[in-house]
Amino acid sequence: MPVVTVGNAEEYQKFINADKTTVALFEADWAEQCAQVKDVLGDLSKIIGDKLQFINLNAENFPEISMKHQIEAVPTVIFFTKGSAVDRVDGVDIAAISSKSKKLAESASSAAATGQTLEDRLKALINTAPLMIFMKGDRNAPRCGFSKQLIAIVNDTKLPYETFDILGDEEVRQGLKTYSDWPTYPQVYVKGELIGGLDIVKELLANKELEAALKA
Amino acid sequence: MSQFNAMTLVHKLKEQLNTQYVNVEDESDGCGAKFSATIVSEQFVGKSLLEKHRLVNKALAEELKEIHAFSQKTYTPEEWEKVKPQEEPEE
Repeated sequence: MPVVTVGNAEEYQKFINADKTTVALFEADWAEQCAQVKDVLGDLSKIIGDKLQFINLNAENFPEISMKHQIEAVPTVIFFTKGSAVDRVDGVDIAAISSKSKKLAESASSAAATGQTLEDRLKALINTAPLMIFMKGDRNAPRCGFSKQLIAIVNDTKLPYETFDILGDEEVRQGLKTYSDWPTYPQVYVKGELIGGLDIVKELLANKELEAALKA
Repeated sequence: MSQFNAMTLVHKLKEQLNTQYVNVEDESDGCGAKFSATIVSEQFVGKSLLEKHRLVNKALAEELKEIHAFSQKTYTPEEWEKVKPQEEPEE
């Protein structure tokens, strides 16, 4: 499939929400470098067009979308997987655009080849670190009151931990709720086992059991 | 835009968990998006904290899809007897 020029927001949404990863070029007519990047996307689409889809849109015609993704310069390329921006390249960096596209295409085909399911992915994610927190935002910028409180409590224990921002990955956000049978975020895992959400962490703290539980 | 209020949640919890005591505070000024619940039930006896919360989450599965923020405290009747006096008001 060649590079598709997106004409309206609806079409854009349809592309970026697709299962297939979308490479979206935000461009402007007056910026010559954009044509160069567009050519590169055209070439890439010939090689890996079966695994990724390529679109371009005039950034100035879509002010809301451009604002949302903080497009400050054209060309900017953003990679979307199921509605979430997973990576981006600002400016004319052909090497980065090519390598990132190829990497995403590879992971798409390896997921297909190994049959890596969402479940495998979630299992790997919850085992990323002995103490793993799935939250809204990250430790420096929690994006919900519960996540913020949780980070403050865990920081106090001085234990090392990793976080995953569920706002950036809708697949994980929904999938983990089902996988762990737990409907809310944040979620705390110790060695791959769900400890619970903020309420449970608070209660463990009040009972002076928190450190032991998080080290488990 | 939630259709839930504290009363509907209390009712649901009573029905599903056969609660001895249940109190739900609407902390959202009535918009129905933020609740805090205290739940006492025989069904929690012998369950871990995680299991207790799971029971509540299950009882409110439909509601929790819409409610933005929900916090809960779960007690067995025995535990409740110990904490009851200093339970009021928190935060």
